[in-house]
Amino acid sequence: MASLKQTQELFMAYILSDKSTDNAQDDKCSAFTSLITAKSDEDGQTRLGIYASAYRLRLIETIETDHEMLGIYLGDELFDKMAQEYINAHPSSYRSLRHFCDALPPFLQDDAFFSQYPILSHIAAFERRLLNAFDAEEQSRASFSELEQLAPEHWPESRFRFHSSVQIFKCQSNAVESWQALKNQQTPPQPDYSIACAWLLWRGEERLTEFISLTEYQLVLLEGFLQGQSLAQQCELMLNYFDEEQAPTKVLQAIRAWFEMGIIRAIA
Amino acid sequence: MTETALTQDFLGFGLGLRTNHFDHVLNTRPDIDWFEVLSENYMVAGGKPRYYLESIAEQYPIVMHGVSMSIGSTDPLDMEYLTALKKLANDVQPKWISDHICWTSIHDVNSHDLLPLPYTEETINHVAERVRTVQDFLGRRILLENVSSYLSYKDSTMDEWTFLNAVAEQADCLVLLDINNIYVSARNHHFDPVTYLNKIEPKRVQQFHLAGHSDYGDYVIDTHDHDVPDSVWDLYGTALERFGAVSTMIERDGNIPEFSGLEQELNIARDIAIKTLPGLQTHLDGLNKNSNRNVFDGKS
Ligand SMILES: [Fe+2]
Repeated sequence: MASLKQTQELFMAYILSDKSTDNAQDDKCSAFTSLITAKSDEDGQTRLGIYASAYRLRLIETIETDHEMLGIYLGDELFDKMAQEYINAHPSSYRSLRHFCDALPPFLQDDAFFSQYPILSHIAAFERRLLNAFDAEEQSRASFSELEQLAPEHWPESRFRFHSSVQIFKCQSNAVESWQALKNQQTPPQPDYSIACAWLLWRGEERLTEFISLTEYQLVLLEGFLQGQSLAQQCELMLNYFDEEQAPTKVLQAIRAWFEMGIIRAIA
Repeated sequence: MTETALTQDFLGFGLGLRTNHFDHVLNTRPDIDWFEVLSENYMVAGGKPRYYLESIAEQYPIVMHGVSMSIGSTDPLDMEYLTALKKLANDVQPKWISDHICWTSIHDVNSHDLLPLPYTEETINHVAERVRTVQDFLGRRILLENVSSYLSYKDSTMDEWTFLNAVAEQADCLVLLDINNIYVSARNHHFDPVTYLNKIEPKRVQQFHLAGHSDYGDYVIDTHDHDVPDSVWDLYGTALERFGAVSTMIERDGNIPEFSGLEQELNIARDIAIKTLPGLQTHLDGLNKNSNRNVFDGKS
């Protein structure tokens, strides 16, 4: 008689074994098969197979749902290769399937085969950011009038707290453009690794996930504020991009836009 | 037939709340007695699910149903999960909390499935002790639901119903009977589902699930993605005769139809219950008056 713990270990080993490639699968199968009631070998295999295929199917569906555009980009055959290999490499260690694909971008980046196409990892990373923005905690949002109501002498030292859905995505490829093309049911462009891109993702007040591209100065400005820099510090930083007259105007324009987008939670 | 036990815990006829019906429920306030929510779906920090849940919980009684307590696992209890569950219960104030009599993970690897347990004294003691710990932590009794299964263990020394009764008794917890799961397991393991119902201790049965499945002849798979079939409706009638008025809901996990499709199934359940249980109609009218909502469409 097996202990409850042994039974569970053998059951899980059976579920995790890849029936198509795992050489050790015979041992794993027979160890667990001997514990279950079955009319015949075939009957036993069918009963166990229901659990083993349910596990794979559930995880494949999760990858498909979380990474829909990546799936289309890859096509059925490569998607299946990726899914099976990712599932083998990453048994689900989270209670929630929501996190199952968290390691997909690094997997694609490091895998001997998939790393030949860096854009795959970039698309996967972008899709993870979209999900993070979608799931982030709901928080109230501040309006531009709150800043206007501040006495002018408090402006230079003002800092901003951002909505928890705010995500910055940077990559050295046209991954987002490719994602957008697929989303619009168009053929994606050829991979282009010549340009560095940055994107801001957030969930708006209507609870829709949105994203826009950032120019270099916008990225630097936003990253500074996210790190807690003050308005005065950021105006000074903008002198790297604009003259003394333009810099404060550009900063104010950007801030006003952020309030309108609903990404500023509070003025500090 | 046993006497109809119209306890204060009888909520009437409910539905599993699914994301694609959020807007419909909020905008049209359908005549549903209560909703069951999947606890794990609302353990994310925020965003849409919590917004809808809080709005809907203001208007309907809610019960919480979980899938990842892994009460039968030999891993330690996941206190992080239980803490999140308790916090959610605090926010939502559910009528009760349920999970499944099964295991889902071992050594921190999660099957995301409701895996069957061997029915032994060892398992009874193990599960009952964990249920007591959970109940102490949550400060309330929980309901355990029977799962569909496709395999049984040579080590089992008793029937599933004996096992379920023993755990419930030893842990002093309540029972959620999934009528479809009984049917599915009966077909897969060749036992009589009516025997199962007749052996379950009535005093602990607090809720019923009704659902559909996929029938492959030799095996029946609990897919929860079909309408409730006649075989399950028949068994539901038998269950009502034995257990009286028990809060009933339609549980649909996949291939989710329009809300009206689920309402129609719930009407069938209500009609069967009213036919089977004298006095239920009067009781439901009382529920209806209290909540100021019209539960009946007048045809029954
Ligand atoms: Fe169920």
